[in-house]
Amino acid sequence: MPTAILDLDLSRLPPEITGLHRYSRALILVRLWGRPVGSAYLPVINGSIAGTELREAVIHAAGWRLWDRWLEVYLRPENLRPTHSTHPTATIAVCTRDRPAELSRCLEALNRLFDEGQEILIVDNCSKTDETRCLVKSHDRMRYVREGKPGLNAARNRALREARQDIVAFMDDDAIPDPDWLRALLHNFDDPLVFCVTGLTMPLELETEAQEWFERYSPFGRGFQRVIYDSGNCRPSSAGRVGAGVNMAFRREVVDRVGPFDEALDAGTPTRSGGDTEMLSRLLAAGYRIVYDPAALNWHLHRRTWKELRHTLYGYGVGLYAFWMRALLVEREWSVLKAASSWFFRYQMRGVLASVLKRPGRRPLDLMLAELRGCFWGPWAYLLSRRLRSRVRACDEQ
Amino acid sequence: MMSSKPLISVVIPTHNRSALLERTLTALAGQTFPLQDMEVLVVSDGCTDETVELLHRSNTPFSLKIIQQAHQGPAAARNRGAMHATGGLLLFLDDDIEASPSLIDAHARAHNERPGRVVIGYLPPVVPSGRIDFLHIGLRNWWEGRFYEMRQPGYRFRYSDLLGGNFSLGSELFARVGGFDLSFRTHEDYELGMRLIKAGVDFFFAVDARGYHHEAMDLNRSFARKYEEGQADVLMGRRHPELLSLLPLACPKPYSFLGVIPSALAFKCPAAGLAMTAVLRQALAFLQWARMRALWDRLRGGLCAYWYWRGVAEKLGSLSAASSFLQTGPARLPEEGCEIEIDLREGLEASERILDQKRPKSVHIRFAQQFIGSIDSQPGAEPLRGVHLRPILLAGLAKRMLIALAMEGVLDNPILRNRGDGLWR
Repeated sequence: MPTAILDLDLSRLPPEITGLHRYSRALILVRLWGRPVGSAYLPVINGSIAGTELREAVIHAAGWRLWDRWLEVYLRPENLRPTHSTHPTATIAVCTRDRPAELSRCLEALNRLFDEGQEILIVDNCSKTDETRCLVKSHDRMRYVREGKPGLNAARNRALREARQDIVAFMDDDAIPDPDWLRALLHNFDDPLVFCVTGLTMPLELETEAQEWFERYSPFGRGFQRVIYDSGNCRPSSAGRVGAGVNMAFRREVVDRVGPFDEALDAGTPTRSGGDTEMLSRLLAAGYRIVYDPAALNWHLHRRTWKELRHTLYGYGVGLYAFWMRALLVEREWSVLKAASSWFFRYQMRGVLASVLKRPGRRPLDLMLAELRGCFWGPWAYLLSRRLRSRVRACDEQ
Repeated sequence: MMSSKPLISVVIPTHNRSALLERTLTALAGQTFPLQDMEVLVVSDGCTDETVELLHRSNTPFSLKIIQQAHQGPAAARNRGAMHATGGLLLFLDDDIEASPSLIDAHARAHNERPGRVVIGYLPPVVPSGRIDFLHIGLRNWWEGRFYEMRQPGYRFRYSDLLGGNFSLGSELFARVGGFDLSFRTHEDYELGMRLIKAGVDFFFAVDARGYHHEAMDLNRSFARKYEEGQADVLMGRRHPELLSLLPLACPKPYSFLGVIPSALAFKCPAAGLAMTAVLRQALAFLQWARMRALWDRLRGGLCAYWYWRGVAEKLGSLSAASSFLQTGPARLPEEGCEIEIDLREGLEASERILDQKRPKSVHIRFAQQFIGSIDSQPGAEPLRGVHLRPILLAGLAKRMLIALAMEGVLDNPILRNRGDGLWR
């Protein structure tokens, strides 16, 4: 049975929760005065969750963060913001390709964001139909740009070029932001060494088995603690744990400092993913900071069918090793060898073995194998993708 | 007191960097501050390049005074400039700083808001982008880290926050504390900062007083700088013994075995040390090529320590002299007890007001009957202000504070309470 998604604030906890007859359990996002502080899975019995169980579970899930947040509000250090600095403004960039239904939901939610003077830019990456353009035109205040070069990273680069504000916040077309999302992201840019901020991504729904497995297997969320990453506490080759493309914002200057996104990587190319991680890794290597801030929350619609899930995980496998291949070839990042081998033996081979031997806590074998297949193909996919790209460039020049 | 805007004198010491100086002067011509209300004094500190000709040739829209002296270092040059200055405010700027248009205006505004304080400007380093260079990355992060810290509300300033490249103060105040100490070749700014802190002068960081710092630094120069810092720290310890415990030379016996090597080499066999550093210097280049950050950091740290100790050894002679030197200072002052006590039950704002009035060096904090903690006096740090309180409570005393609040019944434990309508009223 599917899992219900609940969004509860500790300051306004309902006495009990009813009406969940379709669900066997619930995933609860716990907030305190609007700020996410934890999450918990709770069983749903006869369509309801009793008040005492709910309270205990959410308080347990929040743990010490609850008190941190309480004290923070009690001491109100918000009143003490630096006086001589102003918050930057942002361009929200949504890169999309032939997904008008999902995009429509995303745009609705973007309209509900607090107004921070943001610009909203939709980059249409070679959609086959005209639907995306018509959809964007129906919203005022939104700008439509069509990028003819296929590939998510080409679209991201276009967004960086087109943006009129200092910060570019990227959002997937199958995600929707929390109203406070942008404000929370921007808040972290007051440190001049922070060039990227990533946020917490929760599942929008867990209705199918595929979605449940995605959330268990490779969730986007990176916990509820704000972390500042730099090359001292995170190797550039392990940049994946800093965050993902579904919820990240960059200074537009990033292009001048470390270069654009590598257009041989990510969706729309043979490498299928990894373009976001690769940029994060280059930032870390150049000594900049990346902040993971769970206050910047958005919700992602995971793939519904098993086939799509397998495809996605295969793509993650390809993208990860393609990124490592690039880091090794282009950036001369030798630590990749260590990261890649330890990931392969400690995580993947062990996972496959656990699935074959039917150990408890195992993952579905076909998913493990799909990802493994991707890993073998990844490095070659990167080389192929570069080849294709240079051929396209050659054609353009002729 | 001056009623109109005071005349600012910008003092720029320079030594054989005419190209950089030209950029600095060009940037000053583009200030939003009225140019007729400022004067610029360039002190040529024994320049042998075309600096002086450049200055005579240049046609600046502001009053420019050119002062020449034999090479005596930046401290002497700045003092000389201050001597010839006529402005009520002195702004010290280095010759490698490209001022943003608002720099002088921001300094002037900060002094107008509250006269009598030292205003420290923001110097974001300009780093060549593209190529990865660990040294430049490290320096940039050090500078930006310092400024970011100073920008935080409730930051408690220390003597070493006075960074000499971009700061201003009243010329009268500068004369009163006696200007820069000429015996310092480096860290002369920290030493002045210490005397200003002792004189009870407030520091203020103005982020809008921004000047882009075109620092030309390479590994050899960074080692030379460490050598000078070693020498300067000995002087600093002699001049201000209360700072001794804070200086790196105060712990001649580091905890690890490897950490002992640099100081031992520097004191006992500098010749071997010199040969070794030459070899390791090449190893650094390899580590940088192979992108081995952690090892590079450790190795460079070791080399810096060696050069630092060479500087210390130059001034003190032997390890035994060094250890007896450390005995001279009041190594650990007996804790004199906190000056005042505040009770947070009176309210945070009331507590902050008490701190602002009394400006104590240290304070005991309690909430009714519960002791929360104390903020100790720090040598070289400014006396406490009200604005320091909340950040200190949040950073270091959060748990103790929560316990005290719970014991006094301010927090109602939500786990014990079975209310349906929420956790707090």
